[in-house]
Amino acid sequence: MTASTVSARPKITRTQLREWVTFWLLLGPNLFLFVIFTFWPLFYNAYLSMVDWDFMRVRKYWVGFENYVTVLTDRHFFTILKNTGVFTFSCVFGTMFLGLILALLLNQPLRGRDAARAILFAPTILSGAAVAIVWIYIFDPRYGLINEILGLFGGRSPNWLGSQEWAMPAIIIVYIWKNLGYAVVIYLAGLQAIDKSLYEAALVDGANRWEQFWNITWPGLSPVTFFLSVTSILSCFQAFDIVKVMTNGGPINATNTLIYRLYELGFVSFNAGQAGVVAMVLFSIMLVLTIIQVRLGERRVHYS
Amino acid sequence: MRKQVSRRALLRGMVGVGGAALLAACGGGSQPAASNEAPATSNEAPATSNESPTSAPAVVSETGSTVEITYWGSFSSSSGEAEQAIVDEFNASQSDVKVNYQYQGSYEDTAQKLTAGLQARSVPEVCLLSDVWWFKFYLAEAIAPLNDLAQAEKVNLDDYEPVLLNEGLRNGKYYWIPFARSTPLFYYNRDAWEEAGLPDRGPETWSELQEWSEKLTKKDGDIITRAAFGHPNGASYVAWLFQGVVWQFGGQYSTPEFKITLDDPNVARASMMYHDSVNVDKWAIASQDLNKDFLGGAICSMMASTGSLTGIERDAEFRVGTAFLPKETYFGCPTGGSGMAILSSVPAEKQQAAMKFVAYATSPEKTTFWAKATGYMPVRKSAVTSDEMKAFFDEHPNFKVAVEQLPQTRAQDAARVFIPGGDQIIGKGLERITLGGESPEPVWKEVTAELEKAAAPVLRDLEAIS
Repeated sequence: MTASTVSARPKITRTQLREWVTFWLLLGPNLFLFVIFTFWPLFYNAYLSMVDWDFMRVRKYWVGFENYVTVLTDRHFFTILKNTGVFTFSCVFGTMFLGLILALLLNQPLRGRDAARAILFAPTILSGAAVAIVWIYIFDPRYGLINEILGLFGGRSPNWLGSQEWAMPAIIIVYIWKNLGYAVVIYLAGLQAIDKSLYEAALVDGANRWEQFWNITWPGLSPVTFFLSVTSILSCFQAFDIVKVMTNGGPINATNTLIYRLYELGFVSFNAGQAGVVAMVLFSIMLVLTIIQVRLGERRVHYS
Repeated sequence: MRKQVSRRALLRGMVGVGGAALLAACGGGSQPAASNEAPATSNEAPATSNESPTSAPAVVSETGSTVEITYWGSFSSSSGEAEQAIVDEFNASQSDVKVNYQYQGSYEDTAQKLTAGLQARSVPEVCLLSDVWWFKFYLAEAIAPLNDLAQAEKVNLDDYEPVLLNEGLRNGKYYWIPFARSTPLFYYNRDAWEEAGLPDRGPETWSELQEWSEKLTKKDGDIITRAAFGHPNGASYVAWLFQGVVWQFGGQYSTPEFKITLDDPNVARASMMYHDSVNVDKWAIASQDLNKDFLGGAICSMMASTGSLTGIERDAEFRVGTAFLPKETYFGCPTGGSGMAILSSVPAEKQQAAMKFVAYATSPEKTTFWAKATGYMPVRKSAVTSDEMKAFFDEHPNFKVAVEQLPQTRAQDAARVFIPGGDQIIGKGLERITLGGESPEPVWKEVTAELEKAAAPVLRDLEAIS
């Protein structure tokens, strides 16, 4: 077996060599940037996750996997992971589901359609911190807008940001509201790209609206859905600004997510090592998600 | 079979790993995730300057004989204007030193930016640091001892309030000069007090407040529409306010030697008082925004910083009363707020110029001006007894309470101010008890373990320094 492997080893020919040179020349510039801005921070962070450092001391003490043990066995770490999962899933699903419905509505020749599109898209371009401040007022259990509206019907607003049960739903609502417009616009573009003749053919075959949606629209939108799921997951893991301004990860740990925990450890406790561990956890999750997405994407996405 | 790496596989692998890293890295977009991104934060500093173009800090740039220095501060709105006024008057009063004042955000933001600045070797000459932050920079030997600088500037250190000045004293050297110093104060709504038929004073003890609370608290069915008292949330320095309460019950967070003493039954008693006030007897609420709830009438009283006094008096539509903190077994009240530090890495000439500004900003005249404008303590003994301050006290008796309380205050426990993140760790624990309704002992046991872990590097650094 071994002997045959060695003998079967192919000899590199001149053509092959030339191809490799061209390959590296073409790849080089991109790879250079990639290494500096992506791989170097990644490896440096992996190193940081194994030292005890406060961002200031000249010396970094090597502690191996101690930081991992500390962070991963922390009683609240599971809560934080769960929060991240709930938040990401709710936001991605909520944004895309509502985005698709609204896009389908806005794709109809309705009056005021352009105005509706503009209004829907507006929150996407607003600053997260400013949005959060406005929503703090809306959610205020005593003077807030929601309380005013519920008051008309004799109801009373829950203590949104001050209670452990309602804080996460509140953050999710704000996040979906902010990102919905983006999903709508992307879906609208996807809808417009679907060949109209397919619908005509379906009409001839006597397909009803649901059958049209299920057999033409949904498969036709699959590249868009795939794209949106990737970008939404990315932006949900990025959801820091709104959490920071609205709840600071609280009450207690009700809205504490991985990225907020990273901030807490890194820039409140100034513990570079433990923050590095959280970053590595975040990285591992993203790596797994990316692999799944690429696999699924290759198989399921339908590029016409 | 030996597998040969194909170009396609290589590319795919790189895109996969890199893509995930990018996603993870983008996740940290709002705040630098790794320290090597940190310099970007400090680059923003000059942009936030609200006064005149600035030169790069830490570079001696003499124009004529004027030394330009940069001062990073944490005050916005009316306090920020008062601080800017001090800087402007300083610049106008002499031509040797020109100060550029740069607002950095909250105390936390300022400390974060200074940390990043130290990494990027781009720091201001003077920085405002709060009670929980200056020590960290002292440990890193990033801030300079000020005795010689003060002597050269002929600053009379004896005139500073000793309670406040001595907090910045380590190994016989001063590192932290009191500027915007405060204590918690008991604020109450005098109109609500009168309506409830209570005497116009703060409660002597927490038990008395609980007695009074029956007349103050209003309920609509099960829901409290007006609470007698309000607790802030974990992110709002609740561990500072609770510090005094722990002392009042005879406990402490830690000894000065960093031994965590949260297992003291007195700490548990103090925590139970907080726990019961919200969960059992229901005369207090946990507030998201204490000042707003007080001004809006949702709570009748609170403990809050003296630094809020001017704003609250201005904005309240009712008569505001202030009092000493309630007692329990003892009286207990911590000092707080922020002071000025000079960076050790800047050239001596700039340090001296910085000291000139620090001396000016904390001079009897300016500390009087600052105290009147904000509610922070006058930090000089001669300022407290000055005619100007006395006249002001007569006009605003609420301010006098703060100054009278000062001699009875004490410096905070090491666990909150010297352990990195200690304030947040204790605050979160307390929030679990007050808001989450957990019982104190197991919570404090966990908090103790967390604090001990966080204290280890501090103890090691302390040993290295001495």
